[in-house]
Amino acid sequence: MTALGILTQVTLMLVGGAYVLAVADRLMGGSSTGVRSALSYPVRRLSFLFLQPMSTTERPDFAVWILAPALLAALAAVGAVAVPIAGPSPGGDIAAGLVLFGAAMLVVLVAVFMFGWAPNSVFPMIGGFRFAAMVLSIGIPFSLVVLTTAIPAESLSVGVIVEAQSDLWFVLVQPLGLVIYLITAAAIAFWGPFDLPEGSDLAGGIVAESSGARLAMWRFGRAALMVTVSLMGQAVFLGGYLGPVLPGWLWTLVKTAVLLILLALTGRTMARMRIQRFVWFGWVVLLPLALVDVFLSGWLAL
Amino acid sequence: MSPGPLSYALISIFGIAAVVSGWLVFRTDSMLKAAYWLMGSFVAVGSMLVVVDAQFLGLILILMMSGEMTIMAIFMIMFMMNPAGLNPMVMVHQHRTSIMAGVGSFLLLAWVGLVAEFPDRPAPSADPTVGLGEELLGRSMLIFESAGVALLAVMIGAIALAAKRGRFGDAYDGSIEPDIDIEVESAA
Repeated sequence: MTALGILTQVTLMLVGGAYVLAVADRLMGGSSTGVRSALSYPVRRLSFLFLQPMSTTERPDFAVWILAPALLAALAAVGAVAVPIAGPSPGGDIAAGLVLFGAAMLVVLVAVFMFGWAPNSVFPMIGGFRFAAMVLSIGIPFSLVVLTTAIPAESLSVGVIVEAQSDLWFVLVQPLGLVIYLITAAAIAFWGPFDLPEGSDLAGGIVAESSGARLAMWRFGRAALMVTVSLMGQAVFLGGYLGPVLPGWLWTLVKTAVLLILLALTGRTMARMRIQRFVWFGWVVLLPLALVDVFLSGWLAL
Repeated sequence: MSPGPLSYALISIFGIAAVVSGWLVFRTDSMLKAAYWLMGSFVAVGSMLVVVDAQFLGLILILMMSGEMTIMAIFMIMFMMNPAGLNPMVMVHQHRTSIMAGVGSFLLLAWVGLVAEFPDRPAPSADPTVGLGEELLGRSMLIFESAGVALLAVMIGAIALAAKRGRFGDAYDGSIEPDIDIEVESAA
């Protein structure tokens, strides 16, 4: 596939996925205005934000403030490139695709920290520091469970990992892996119960000073990040494009949408976790569980 | 895969980017930006590794640096008497010493680059990641494993020292303000 083709495909995936997530989130949020209203909600909200003036603060770092949302969306796109969508690519896909995804997801920390730091304001900066604490606590379990799927497939290429699931999806071999993956991925996308960097307890946190097009771009970047983690989650745990009857790309889309809706549901139904408890949870619960998952999968693969 | 003109062009671009962002580390006026310019430099070096077919090494470098540079920025901000690193500040000090150290290390490295005999053999055609794994767990296993265990011990020790939950229980339970009427010694 040409570079332009890949770019178009990834852009369509991210925009479409962000739409699905926004609609699902709106429906889960208990809006009583009905499905039809929820379907048009993302467009209405986006047009509202683009018409809203962009507020500013005293001596912000403008370049960083503009670059951070762009970096967030770009990292989502880089992570999504590693996942084959329609079927095995003829030239083989990126050999270390899983590591590319992991690297892109951990650089999200830089984007969020910069976005919190740029406005020269206290609540956004506390949000940025909170996210640093979060990512340092769950970064290792996240990387471990993603890399664990490479053990049975004996490859870091996502295409090979999908092919290795032709008999049995990895979610059945290592269900613990998917659970840890979804928890840590939601935290990396600061979504749901883990939206600590921009929680209402921080008066909006990193987005407290953002409005208008800037806020719209940031919201899109976060939604795109959710799409990328769902896309990778379905590829390494739910068999990716493999499935009967339907064409491969449709299976990818369906499975990605299922994970997105699941994450939207948990985001709306579970209470926000306090940062102290979250850090404890990451180091004391998730990290040992991820190590257990690694040992189990290694043992099963031998 | 033999390197084509595209590889040379990309390596040159990333090399220049690495040097320029390394220079910007000292030209910027804030610790956070300095840390992230340094990270940009590492990302450029990682990209150079990816271009020379060492995908795994290059990407792992970028992966590690994102967390490390943020930790570095947080520590620099913590140790500076500068509210959250928001005030502009000069990033260079001890000019004479640093100029001498910079020129000296440049000359030393350039001399090594000119004199040293670099291996001429091309990379093995097999997956470079496999080669790296065999190196790590093959003949160099003792070195890497001892370094790994030592680092692990340091990490566990650091966490044990920094943990909020000490031998007096959870720090949040113990943080009770003292009584107002503290016995004040007469300031004679």
